[in-house]
Amino acid sequence: MSDPIARLLIAALGLYAAVGGVVAAWFLVRGSRRMDAGVRTASVWFKLLIAPGLAALWPWVVARAGSKATQDDSHDA
Amino acid sequence: MSVGYVAIQWSRHKRIYDAAAAVGAVLFVGAWVITGKLMWRGEHALSDEVLILRGLGSCAIVLLHVILAIGPLARLDRRFLPVLYNRRHLGVMTFLIGLAHAALAVGYYHGFGVVSPLVSLLTSNTNVASLREFPFEWLGVGALAILFLMAATSHDFWLRNLGARAWKRLHMLVYIAYGLLVGHVALGAVQTDRGGAYVWAVGVGMVVLTALHVAAAWREAPIDAGRASATPNEAWLDVGSIDEIPMDRARLVAAAGGERIAVFRHKDGFSAVTNVCAHQGGPLGEGKVIDGCITCPWHGWQYKPGDGCSPPPFTEKIATYQVRVIGGRVQVDPKANPAGTPVTPATPMGGEGGHA
Ligand code: FES
Repeated sequence: MSDPIARLLIAALGLYAAVGGVVAAWFLVRGSRRMDAGVRTASVWFKLLIAPGLAALWPWVVARAGSKATQDDSHDA
Repeated sequence: MSVGYVAIQWSRHKRIYDAAAAVGAVLFVGAWVITGKLMWRGEHALSDEVLILRGLGSCAIVLLHVILAIGPLARLDRRFLPVLYNRRHLGVMTFLIGLAHAALAVGYYHGFGVVSPLVSLLTSNTNVASLREFPFEWLGVGALAILFLMAATSHDFWLRNLGARAWKRLHMLVYIAYGLLVGHVALGAVQTDRGGAYVWAVGVGMVVLTALHVAAAWREAPIDAGRASATPNEAWLDVGSIDEIPMDRARLVAAAGGERIAVFRHKDGFSAVTNVCAHQGGPLGEGKVIDGCITCPWHGWQYKPGDGCSPPPFTEKIATYQVRVIGGRVQVDPKANPAGTPVTPATPMGGEGGHA
């Protein structure tokens, strides 16, 4: 692998991880209310345990939050 | 079961297993370093860092072998079932040890130049076209990424939110991680001229794991053969004579193209539920009835035989099946009832168990 490609790859991974960190933090503070009520009452240790997975799978978290929001809106209508 | 999430579901047994695994890992790496110091002396002596990082890497791959062997071993011999309870914790431990190995290796081999260690890791070997010279480090990085994903999603939260099927598929990636690690170790040994001992060791490990998986599949072939010969419209499946089902245990049959069915004997009656636990798909038919509930052998989730519902306050449900006893033989209707449907247990006198 050439040097520029390696740097690009590492930068892209860093960006992915950074976005993941933000999404994980949002989920644990606010987003979980809609998606899984069990998270709200769980301990800090539990939240720390699931945080790496939330950061790694952040596109799934965003997609799921989006679909939940759509469901909730249609129920409200 | 899922009333609220806890960080780690530790029981006394799990603590003992975790402590034993941690002590075992420390002893393994310690023994590796001491042996290395005794074997390679003088001009051939290896630095402490190299011995430790190789000891950690070897420990991780040995643990991965244990993890992959537990499933078939438990199917071949029920005495291994308790070890199965702890497989997820072993998986997390394997990832952490692999991570320590990777961090040491990157720091030691790529951390002293002007180039960033990660860039150096990706650019120091570019022989991607050669099988023998392929950058073995990349295989290790790939395996570590999979082990991370598995460790990060090992909590029940993920099982519940991803869904059992997706979660299971994700965790089947362990076989790809294993393949990558075999390549990592073998190529690493060949490229650094460390002799054939490593290659032999992973080769033996592969043979043992394959043999265990084949033996477990062969053992269960009769159950699946029953499934293959059944037609989708077949009415009742023969489970066996009433004496063949031990008290508070189950016998398995397979529905055509469907899941396995576990037919339990409890008190005077026979009840049937799906063999697939709602938690992580554990084999309920290998469990037993404890305190009046079918108890999964993997993590102890419970279901009442009469309706497939977990006892309060838990809310999980599994599918039930109609059962009847005719001429001393237990039979089950392969059409699954919706999860949680009550079915009166069938008795030798009372015949078929109907919806309660
Ligand atoms: S699979 Fe975990 S309790 Fe059944």
